[in-house]
Amino acid sequence: MSLEIQNLHVRIEEREILRGLDLTVRKGETHALMGPNGSGKSTLANTIMGNPNYEVTEGKIVFNGEDVTEADPDERARAGLFMAFQYPATIPGVSVANFLRMAVNAKRDDPIKVKEFGKLLGENMEILKIDRAFTSRYLNEGFSGGEKKRAEILQLAMLRPEIAVLDETDSGLDIDALRIVSDGVNALRGPEMGSLIITHYKRILDYVRPEFVHIMLDGRIVREGGPELADELEQTGYEQIREEVAAANAG
Amino acid sequence: MPASASDWLDERRKAALEAYEGEPVPTWRRSGFWTTTLRKLDLDALEPRRYEPVSSVDELPAVVGDALDDEPGALIVQRGASTVLLQVSAELTEQGVVVMPLEQAVVEHEALVREWYMKRLSETEGKFPAATAAFWTGGVFIHVPRNAQVKAPIQTVYVIDEPGTAQYAHTLAIVDENADCAIREYCLGGDFEGQALHAGGFELYARPGARAKLAHFHDWGRGEVYDISTKRVEIARDAFVSWVPIHLGGRLIKQTLDIVTAEQGADMRHTGLYFTERDEHLDLFTTDMKEAPHTAGDTVWKGALTGDSRASYEGLIHIVPDAQETHTYLQTHQMLLSQRAKGDAIPSLIVQTDNVSASHGGTVGELDEEQIFYMMSRGISRIEAVQTLVEGYFEEVVQRLDDPGLEELVRRRIGEKLLAAEDQVKEFVGHRAGAAQEA
Repeated sequence: MSLEIQNLHVRIEEREILRGLDLTVRKGETHALMGPNGSGKSTLANTIMGNPNYEVTEGKIVFNGEDVTEADPDERARAGLFMAFQYPATIPGVSVANFLRMAVNAKRDDPIKVKEFGKLLGENMEILKIDRAFTSRYLNEGFSGGEKKRAEILQLAMLRPEIAVLDETDSGLDIDALRIVSDGVNALRGPEMGSLIITHYKRILDYVRPEFVHIMLDGRIVREGGPELADELEQTGYEQIREEVAAANAG
Repeated sequence: MPASASDWLDERRKAALEAYEGEPVPTWRRSGFWTTTLRKLDLDALEPRRYEPVSSVDELPAVVGDALDDEPGALIVQRGASTVLLQVSAELTEQGVVVMPLEQAVVEHEALVREWYMKRLSETEGKFPAATAAFWTGGVFIHVPRNAQVKAPIQTVYVIDEPGTAQYAHTLAIVDENADCAIREYCLGGDFEGQALHAGGFELYARPGARAKLAHFHDWGRGEVYDISTKRVEIARDAFVSWVPIHLGGRLIKQTLDIVTAEQGADMRHTGLYFTERDEHLDLFTTDMKEAPHTAGDTVWKGALTGDSRASYEGLIHIVPDAQETHTYLQTHQMLLSQRAKGDAIPSLIVQTDNVSASHGGTVGELDEEQIFYMMSRGISRIEAVQTLVEGYFEEVVQRLDDPGLEELVRRRIGEKLLAAEDQVKEFVGHRAGAAQEA
C-alpha cells in the first residue's frame, strides 16, 4: 500500500514546475516535504490529486500498484487518496454536513444511514474540537483561515484515506489553531494512513513529528533524511542548501 | 366580448381594444444585446377556450395538482378562458377575505374593483397589455381586509393544457391596511404539442402597514407557450412585500415586472429565479421603482441556462426626484451550463435625486473548475459536483422564498432539469477542462 511518484515532470502554462521528482509514501508513514515558495510543493500536491490545470509531461504516479497518472480526481479519491487544500474552494449553498455526507457516500455502495453518519460526524468533531453549529454553515463560505483548515482536517477524518497529502495546512494558522489541527492529524495517524505534510516552515513538524523529511528545490527533491533534517534546515536555511546543491552539481 | 355588468369597464375594454387594433405585433430590442420577436407565433390560430367547472383539483390537468400545496386557504383555478374551480376556507371567509373571479367581483365588489382596477397597469403600454385589458375573462380578485392575518396561502392558478389556446388573464389583489397574507400565483402548462398564448396582467396593492408574501411560479411545460405579461406591485406607507417570481419553463416569455415603493417607509424584497432549457427564450425586465423618500429595497435574481436557450434579464433601479433617503440594492447572476446557450444579465440605475444609496451588480459566468476539482478530490463525480454546485448556486434565492412547500417544489424541479441536461452539462464542463489544460 503506497504512493509512488516516479520521475515526475509537470508543466503549468508552458512553465515546467516539477523536473523529475521521485518520492514514495507508504501506508503508516509520515513524511514531510519542505521547500521554499516556488519550489513546486503545491504543484506536487495538485498533481497527485489530479488537478486538470497541471499537465504531466513525463513520469508517473502509482498508487497501490496502479498507474493513476491519468485518472480523474474522483477516481483517485475513491481509491484512497486525499488532499487537504491550502486554499480550499468555497461551495455556496452546500452545508458542511451535506458535503461530508456526499463525500462519505461517494466511497460507498449504499448510502450511509443518517444515524451512523451523525455518530461518525460527532466523534470526529469531538477530536477536532469543532462546534456543532459549524456543520450547518455553507462549506468555506465566510470561514476564517483557521476554520477552513479545520474543515479540511474534518474531511480527512471523515474519509480516512490511505494516503493524505496536507498542502501547507499550517499556513495562516495561529498557534492555538495549529495545535488543534496538529492534534487532529496526530489522532488520525496510525498504521492505516500514510501522510505527506507539505510545508514551508518547520513549525508544524514540532507538533506532528515525521519519520521522513524531504527537501525540495526547483522542482526536485534535493535532500532526504529523518526528522533531524528539519532541525538542520532551521539552522541553515534554504539558501545554504541551494548553494550546497549547486556546488555538488558543479563538482 | 365577455359580458360585463358595468359601463365603466365596458369603456375601458373599448379603449383597450382600440389600442390593441392600433398597435402592430411588437418586437423588443435591446440594442447590442438581444431581440425578442414573435414572428414564429401564429396569433390568428389561437382562440380563447372555455371549460366546464370541476369540483376538485383531481379533475384538472395533472400539472396543477403536482404543483399545488395541499392546504391552501383559498384556491382559484382558471383553465383557458374559464374559472373552473374556486375554494375558500371557512377561516378565510370568516376573516372577510374575498377570493373570486374578477368578473364576479366587478359585480359584487364594484366600488373596490373600480377604485383599484388597472391603477398601475395601462391599456396603452403595448399591444399585449391592451389585448389583456380588452379580452380578459374569468380573472382573479383578492381582497384581504384591514388587519386580517391570513396564514394559509391564497393560491391562484392559470393553466393551459391544449394547443391553440389564447388565455387573457387579469389578477387584481388588494392587501388592505395592516393585513398580512401570502399569495401564490401559478402559471402552468401541460406538455402538449403546439402553440398557446398567455397574455397576463397582474396588480397587487399593499396598503399602509400591510405585509404580503407574493410568489409567481411559472412552468409552462414543454408546449410552445408564449407568455407576455405585465406585473406590478405597489407598496404603500410602511408596508412590506416580498415578491418571488420563478420561471421554470416556457417557449417564449416576455415579462415586465415592476415593484413600486410608493410611500414613505415602504419596503420590499424581490427575489427571482429562472432556469431555461431547450430552445426557450426568456426576456425579463424588472424595475425597482422608488417613488417616495425613506423607502428600501433588495433585489436578487439568479438564473441558469442549458440547451440552446436564451435568457435576458435587465433590472433597473429608478429613484425619482423626490425620493431621498432611499436605500436599495440589486444584484443579478446568470450561469451558463451549455456552450450553445446565450445570456445577458444587466443591472442599470436611474437616480434623479441625491442622498440615496443604490448599488447594483451583475455577473454572467460558468461553473468554476476549481470548485469542481475540489469536490472531485473528495470522490464526488463530475456530474454530481456540477449538479450540487448549480443547486448550491440557487440555494441562496430558494431560501429567500421563505416558504417550505415552494422551496421543495423549486428544488425538485431544478433537480429534474439538471438531470435532463446531464449530457450537455457534462460535455460542456469537460470542454472547459480541456480548454484549461490547453491554456
